[in-house]
Amino acid sequence: MMAIRELKVCLLGDTGVGKSSIVCRFVQDHFDHNISPTIGASFMTKTVPCGNELHKFLIWDTAGQERFHSLAPMYYRGSAAAVIVYDITKQDSFHTLKKWVKELKEHGPENIVMAIAGNKCDLSDIREVPMKDAKEYAESIGAIVVETSAKNAVNIEELFQGISQQIPPLDPHENSNNGAIKLGRQTSQTGRRCC
Amino acid sequence: MSSLTMRTRCVDKRGSFFKLIDTIASEIGELKQEMVQTDLTVEDESADWQSLIKDMDNISPEKNDVKSCPRDSGYDSLSNKLSILDKLLHTHPVWLQLSLNDAEAMEILQTQPPGIFLVRKCARLQKKVISLRLSSDCGSCMKEFAIKESTYTFSLEGSAISFADLFRLIAFYCISRDVLPFTLKLPHAIAAAKTEAELEEIAQLGLNFWSSLANSKPPDPSPPCRPVPLDSARKDSRQLCLINGVHSIRTRTPSELECSQTNGALCFINPLFLKVHSQDVSGSLKRQSPRTPDVNGTARPRSPPPRPPPPAINSTLRSPQISRTIKQASMPETVSHKKERGSDLLQNKPTPIPPPRLKKQAVCSEADSASRSAAPLRPRSVCVPEAAAAPPRETLPALPQPAPAAPKKTPAAISESHIPWNGGRQRLSDMSISTSSSDSLDFDRSMPLFGYEGDTNSSLEDFEGESDQESMAPPLKPKKKRSSSFVIPKIVKSQLRKVSGVFSSFMTPEKRMIKKIAEMSRDKRTYFGCLVQDYVSFLQENKECHVSSTDMLQTIRQFMTQVKNYLSQSSELDPPIESLIPEDQIDVVLEKAMHKCILKPLKGHIEAMLKEFHTTDGSWKQLKENLQLVRQRNPQELGVFVPTPDFVDVEKIKVKFMTMQKMYSPEKKVMLLLRVCKLIYTVMENNSGRLYGADDFLPVLTYVLAQCDMLELDTEIEYMMELLDPSLLHGEGGYYLTSAYGALSLIKNFQEEQAAQLLSSEARDTLRQWHKRRTTNRTIPSVDDFQNYLRVAFQEVTSGCTGKTLLVRPYITTEDVCQLCAEKFKVANPEEYRLFLFVDDTWQQLTEDTYPQKIKAELHSRPQPQVFHFVYKRLNSDPYGAILQNSNDSAA
Repeated sequence: MMAIRELKVCLLGDTGVGKSSIVCRFVQDHFDHNISPTIGASFMTKTVPCGNELHKFLIWDTAGQERFHSLAPMYYRGSAAAVIVYDITKQDSFHTLKKWVKELKEHGPENIVMAIAGNKCDLSDIREVPMKDAKEYAESIGAIVVETSAKNAVNIEELFQGISQQIPPLDPHENSNNGAIKLGRQTSQTGRRCC
Repeated sequence: MSSLTMRTRCVDKRGSFFKLIDTIASEIGELKQEMVQTDLTVEDESADWQSLIKDMDNISPEKNDVKSCPRDSGYDSLSNKLSILDKLLHTHPVWLQLSLNDAEAMEILQTQPPGIFLVRKCARLQKKVISLRLSSDCGSCMKEFAIKESTYTFSLEGSAISFADLFRLIAFYCISRDVLPFTLKLPHAIAAAKTEAELEEIAQLGLNFWSSLANSKPPDPSPPCRPVPLDSARKDSRQLCLINGVHSIRTRTPSELECSQTNGALCFINPLFLKVHSQDVSGSLKRQSPRTPDVNGTARPRSPPPRPPPPAINSTLRSPQISRTIKQASMPETVSHKKERGSDLLQNKPTPIPPPRLKKQAVCSEADSASRSAAPLRPRSVCVPEAAAAPPRETLPALPQPAPAAPKKTPAAISESHIPWNGGRQRLSDMSISTSSSDSLDFDRSMPLFGYEGDTNSSLEDFEGESDQESMAPPLKPKKKRSSSFVIPKIVKSQLRKVSGVFSSFMTPEKRMIKKIAEMSRDKRTYFGCLVQDYVSFLQENKECHVSSTDMLQTIRQFMTQVKNYLSQSSELDPPIESLIPEDQIDVVLEKAMHKCILKPLKGHIEAMLKEFHTTDGSWKQLKENLQLVRQRNPQELGVFVPTPDFVDVEKIKVKFMTMQKMYSPEKKVMLLLRVCKLIYTVMENNSGRLYGADDFLPVLTYVLAQCDMLELDTEIEYMMELLDPSLLHGEGGYYLTSAYGALSLIKNFQEEQAAQLLSSEARDTLRQWHKRRTTNRTIPSVDDFQNYLRVAFQEVTSGCTGKTLLVRPYITTEDVCQLCAEKFKVANPEEYRLFLFVDDTWQQLTEDTYPQKIKAELHSRPQPQVFHFVYKRLNSDPYGAILQNSNDSAA
């Protein structure tokens, strides 16, 4: 049996960008009876296989309203990864995202994996944030980036797969093996970025 | 038991309940009589075999389905007949060799006859295995059979039969081969042993047994795969199944069921009879066994524990009182000629510090020595001379030569230590059914697995639905109401108390282990007990030793973690915890045990201290004021745009929080917090099917916590945050705990926002940014209200409102403050501005010769806390007009 690794993932982003919708979509698609349900959508878990390991994501949602910003450090403390969500139809939300990235770089856990999700890509006709901007920004900070649609289930799995692959494997002598896989998948990931 | 429970459930009148108790009492009387007779039964080989069969029933009750019949192996063990399970329990130092590697196991087994086995931890498989000696014609002479450990059970891989613990598993496979090529075989010396003393002697050889003379006797010629008379084995299993059916505790139904001679319903009481009986027969073997002597069974001689590094306690710990108590107790180490040593030690002077259990020796010796040196507080200096000094009284008859050095043990001390225990015994013989921790000691040794070690009080607690340690349903499931089927009147309680010991028979290995550790923690003759008791009394007696609430809670958490490490490495627990608890559960079980033996006694003290800290630093006062403020807001003002709990729901939530306050276990508290959150979600979702994330949940949680208006929640959350097992902090419990903590911090910092809401929307925005800046950089609740700081808001008709915290000493006048404000807010024409106090919805201009800090202090000292703000603004603007005018401006 594969070892289960618990990974804390925190969700950051303005209110209304669809943070919890992304998680609900991720957790509830392909519903697995082995997953014990959580009491609400603010905290959800899902286990996915990755290489020789099983990654159990413990997903911590945060409240996006400004008044709750000061609480964020308690939520991202100890996270292996952060999913920072913006709304492609709202330039402001992309601005907030940059603030979060800055804060994580300064105060977040070391080596935290950052994944940027441009949500609501089903509404690209009223888009305010060009995909190019997001891509360039993500590259500049070394983050994963995908445009997602929680509504149409676009790129949701891929977002978390991307995170899984960025998590260094636990067992040192499995390193070489996994590293190879990681590289391969990463390139395919880049190709998948369009939605 | 089954019929007892069923009857209990049907009983709804007091009268019939008493009747039940009486019936039980009289039945016990009868059984007692029978027992004495059985005791005289002469045993022969076939009786021996019978007892084995009975053991098998016990250990695999779910397998057989047929009719039941009386059994007597319980009596057997009294009359020197030992069951396989007994033999295994006594001799585990011989066959349970978790640290052996393949080669070592092979070396031992190859000289043994087929069927002989060892249990060890296989490095390759990372599992426990049975290493079985095969017959020589099988090619390889040894084969491994992996043991599968699930959350609750042990089983052999490939077999469908699972067992509550390792001993039961092995005992079963001594009788039935199931997936093995043939049954396991006990070494001749063990199989032939007739008394516990013989087994003890063998056990003391430990690993050396295999190469010793004791094992060199000609092996039993009987083939290892002796046919199992299944029919007879099945005879008495029906009652077990019945019981299992009723109680859903299946494989771990205890073997106490052994001695129901006439009445199935009472079979579980067996151990008590044994106890009573062993008192009647003063020369009983049990009493003579060198391992029986301690009154408290948990205090058996044990190998020495690695000393864990102590938490931040200093030498003050060793108060004279403590040392005195220690001296009165006889030390277990005295009888420490433990299994691992050669039998020659039996006659020698006892050594104060026996060697650690072999298994862990290599692993922990380093850490051990390191921690020893780092352990100044450990009252070792007290224990060691003690150990050398005091031979436990009951050992004396058993050992032909008493321990030579016993100078300190004065007659007075002896009688002192006697009294309480004798009292316990007396009580026991008066009461037909009862166990207490002191009472049950004697069997505890002979049958450590049997779950009646419970003391009366705690079993009753369990029965009544004790506030903590009972298992709690997860929040998703409807709450179990354990005692709801009938209300227990006080008089009945005392009757029940007698019966309650009975219920503890049905404890799971986990509960038994926790109970055992808890008992050990109260016994200062164990190293573990000393450690825990000394720490607890140190904390209670030294209130000034912690500078803050966090400091105190963190030290306690650290202590629990260290003691847990100690317990998992030391050999004070006998049998070793690995043989009773599946590996992935060991930490969970130890954590629960820590709660019971450390947090339970400290709960009251911790609460009082937390309250004191928060009253002293003023944070409760501030919280109280702010709770009041937040409660006056309507949900929308708090950012809530979903259905909120109504009055009835809030009451329900409050009840849950009050229950939470009664718990000592942080995990149980978190469980209740989760229930509260679940209830909130249910209200929010309101059958809409919509799922809400933190954007919606956190505001509602804040609203609900304010509505509950319980200051104690603050300390409850702090208690959980600091004391919860760190491994749980990332999970669901940790998440909602963090959210509750966050919601409370928002409430604590509500005042600035409140100030903002009185002002224009423009001003509010400005102030909100100020608030944000402040709260972002602030981790600790503000203390500036009580120091030399003054918060002043600066209001401009055109640019809204900003705020600054100024250093204002008590003797600074308003005039000086105005000057300071003019500088800080860069006002060009300071003569047009003055300092105002906004309180009770009115504006008061402060005259130049008043002292703002004194005004603030006066406001703070009023019995009814009021909201007030110091505002630096233009003289000519009408106080209310400023706001109205402002809103008009923005509207226009």
